[in-house]
Amino acid sequence: MKLVISEAARRAGLEPAHIERFILFSWVRPADDDELLLDECDLARCRLIYELQHEFGVNDAAVPVILDLVDQLHRLQAEALRR
Amino acid sequence: MKDPYTILGVSKTATQDEIKNAYRSLAKKNHPDLNPGNKEREAKFKDAAQAYEQIGSPEARAKFDRGETEEAFAGGRGGPYYHEAKAGGDGGRYTYSYGGGGMDDDFFENLFRQSGAGGRGGGRREHGPGEDQLYQMEVEFRDAALGAEREIALPGGKKLQIKIPAGVESGARLRFKGQGGPGLGQGAAGDAFVEIHVRPSSQFTRKGRDVESEASITVYDALLGGEVEVPTLDGNISLKVPPGVSSGSKLRIRGKGIGSKTGERGDQLVALRIVMPKSIPPEMKQMLAEWKEKHPYSAKETK
Repeated sequence: MKLVISEAARRAGLEPAHIERFILFSWVRPADDDELLLDECDLARCRLIYELQHEFGVNDAAVPVILDLVDQLHRLQAEALRR
Repeated sequence: MKDPYTILGVSKTATQDEIKNAYRSLAKKNHPDLNPGNKEREAKFKDAAQAYEQIGSPEARAKFDRGETEEAFAGGRGGPYYHEAKAGGDGGRYTYSYGGGGMDDDFFENLFRQSGAGGRGGGRREHGPGEDQLYQMEVEFRDAALGAEREIALPGGKKLQIKIPAGVESGARLRFKGQGGPGLGQGAAGDAFVEIHVRPSSQFTRKGRDVESEASITVYDALLGGEVEVPTLDGNISLKVPPGVSSGSKLRIRGKGIGSKTGERGDQLVALRIVMPKSIPPEMKQMLAEWKEKHPYSAKETK
């Protein structure tokens, strides 16, 4: 499943401008970078960023820090599970 | 169903702001993406979200306080959490940007590199991709048909090697990744697009994969058959004309048409045009008049 930005926004309950902004800041790297198509994972990441910003009040500078930590947490956990 | 006030840990008389803050602090602590795999916290997060749904807005809260408890919101989040979606595969985009090692010296380096100067308390730095740029390029008919390599100079002196693909049509855009405007901060450069405009040819017209052209022949060649020299995309060739052709008859030359990425080529179709001699000698006139008596034919039937 790969979606154009407008359709992805509709499904995630966001405005297309939100997603465009996330991509512009490289917080989200679309599954299809050429055509700017988003997959389920991109979509969930957009939703997480939106929640961080609009429900938790996280500012722009902190978003990539948190995303980084979240990704590392996920990776370390996945590694731990494999052992 | 548990009482939303209890779940959020606020009193019945709490202000909307207090409720919001209570919800936010619970959500922050228990967000499933920040506690992946922790079912207990996920349940708490969902409870808090549901409770907030019930009393988070003055309207909903008034309803709830009146006892109109609707079966509120069953996980109406519109999709899986990030860590769940990622478990389904992210093509490595969000997983392996850290060199794959454990938590070592790179950890903080990566952290601060990714977050820009903001992570060290300095001024904020914006990152963003550069602008895409569009250029126009005129291409000869033959180059578009068979493919060619050209070089164009971009404003600013940069040169771009253009590989014109065989069979390209007007309006096609070629993309050159990273050749557009420079990115902002650590953002990637934009792309350059070159739009192709095929110059019309005086000899050929394109029809799908085929090339059409015209050739003039004498009335003798039309009657008796003969040979005529015709231009093709690969240079002039001698084309055999069978006897008895009409004006407008089309002869097909295989493999002399428009090229393609796969190397296959269309055909060339040559439409014939019969040209009469400038003057008709009296003997010919008389001969044809007799001939007409003996062998009449209708122009309507022969097409």
